[in-house]
Amino acid sequence: MSASTPVTPETSGGPVPQSVGAPQPMQSTAINHRKPPRSHGLLGLLAWVIGILFALPVAWMILTSLHSETDAATNPPRIFAPLSLEGYKAFFDAGPWPALLNSLTASVLSTLLVLLLAFPAAYALSIRPVKAWTDVLFFFLSTKMLPIVAGILPLYLFAQKTHLLDNIWWLIVLYTSMNLPIAIWMLRSFLAEVPVEMLEAAQVDGASLVRTLKDVIAPVVMPGIAAAALICFIFSWNELLLARVLTGTAAGTAPVFLTGFVTSQGLFLAKVCAASLVVSLPVLAAGFAAQDKLVQGLSMGAVK
Amino acid sequence: MSAATIDAAGLGRRRAMLLVAPALILITAFLVIPALWTVYLGVTDYRLTGIQAANPQFVGLDNYRAALVDPAFRNALWLTLVFVFGSAIVGQTGAGFALAWTLRSVPKIVRTVVQTLVLLAWILPSSIVAFLWVAYLSRDDGTLNAILHTGGTDWLLAHPMLSIIVFNTWRGTAFSMLLFSAALGAVPPSQLEAARLSGAGTFAQLRDVVVPHIRGHVLTNTLLISLWTFNDFSPYLLTAGGPNHASEVLPVFIYNEALYGGQLGYGSAISFIMLFINLVIALFYVRLLRERR
Repeated sequence: MSASTPVTPETSGGPVPQSVGAPQPMQSTAINHRKPPRSHGLLGLLAWVIGILFALPVAWMILTSLHSETDAATNPPRIFAPLSLEGYKAFFDAGPWPALLNSLTASVLSTLLVLLLAFPAAYALSIRPVKAWTDVLFFFLSTKMLPIVAGILPLYLFAQKTHLLDNIWWLIVLYTSMNLPIAIWMLRSFLAEVPVEMLEAAQVDGASLVRTLKDVIAPVVMPGIAAAALICFIFSWNELLLARVLTGTAAGTAPVFLTGFVTSQGLFLAKVCAASLVVSLPVLAAGFAAQDKLVQGLSMGAVK
Repeated sequence: MSAATIDAAGLGRRRAMLLVAPALILITAFLVIPALWTVYLGVTDYRLTGIQAANPQFVGLDNYRAALVDPAFRNALWLTLVFVFGSAIVGQTGAGFALAWTLRSVPKIVRTVVQTLVLLAWILPSSIVAFLWVAYLSRDDGTLNAILHTGGTDWLLAHPMLSIIVFNTWRGTAFSMLLFSAALGAVPPSQLEAARLSGAGTFAQLRDVVVPHIRGHVLTNTLLISLWTFNDFSPYLLTAGGPNHASEVLPVFIYNEALYGGQLGYGSAISFIMLFINLVIALFYVRLLRERR
């Protein structure tokens, strides 16, 4: 019984999100009411400690990136060393712009393509669950589980034969296919909550398919679209294995550039930390801009 | 039983198919066909260079036979199981649940901040987190050695498996935490309250009230993170499989064998074995999902 209950709390009135991760307010008051405040303090402390432990490597990265090379090399790390931007300067002097631009192109274009293909597909799949449709959905879901490393040899050989090696469009197409299943699965769970009356109304009004999708459905499931877009963007931006194998100097993405940079400059911690921070900025921004949507999208995509 | 079995939007069968087709074609072309091609390559002696590169021969199941008796492959398979068990099933599930359980009764601001910090580890590019951990664990100027006063210990060389297990736990806990938070949010508070009033301790509450409610989520979570960990390539960035194959999990083994060593046929056979194990886990998962609806 419980297993069949969707995780989303009943957000009556459409799929408007509330972070699924957060317990309902009612609940927490019930808990607050009962528990002695002291155990709060302890749990709170524990939570902080875990949080800080998790953040430690990242905090170290940010701090080191702002130190001079000599201060960065001291052990234990000097926390209050004077700040300096020389690491950033050195990184940008190394010419990272083509790689950053490649990453941006690949991530943004593949995300747009994913949305363009996934949204209509998810729509058709969610409003017309003919028997075979369920199989199609599960087909999508199961491809989400293919290990990239298992398909990488054919992808490499194909690119080699068709001269697509080191071509950014090859990466874009692959990132699009790689993220499509996740996006469809996620969007479908959002679309499943669109009230049927709304679709009927659109039909009665005689709205065309494109219009229905664009003006009726899209606004309602915007949070889902945003969540899917963010996840696709983050996955493409972070992807390393395909980029590493399939690109070279021309189409190399930021993570590829970075691994090269680490290999050649690994001893210069400030430089590498500055580089890492710059490369992570887009995903950090994307992640923070919509943390609750990300949370919702992930848990819905995974569980429903 | 979602939406409608009737065609509420009047979409029609043909148009519905038209909407799904492009996605289906793309996924088939670039995910499914490469996987099938892997199956084909696995029964040839294809190599990256040399005679076999130009004219690969059909060798039947030779690659599979070779794999079964190859100590390096068995080693990789075993290490992968250890890696999945240690970092996904024990590490991420354990830490994720502990966090979710702890965070539900702390003030909202603490919860938000801690969740954000944990999520940080999950969204950063693997190339970066790998470098951070290499620096953290390194021999002479590593932060861990400075903290523990164990100067000179090279953690990645001395304890490669432990290192990648801890690394992957840190990296992936966010997903389990979020999923369990959502699951715990759906446990009826009244039942917990009742258990508490009747004097049940934390452990008894977990066992009698929480676990029965979230069993489905635990299963989903375990299967998903097991698959991801099983296929995870990032250990390569920490240890490259070394020292002396001591942390060579299957994806790293394939990479080293096929792309670095040029043995495409053999690498493909191993890939197919991986694919097969994935498929078994995935089918199990899909079955469970179906039963739940």
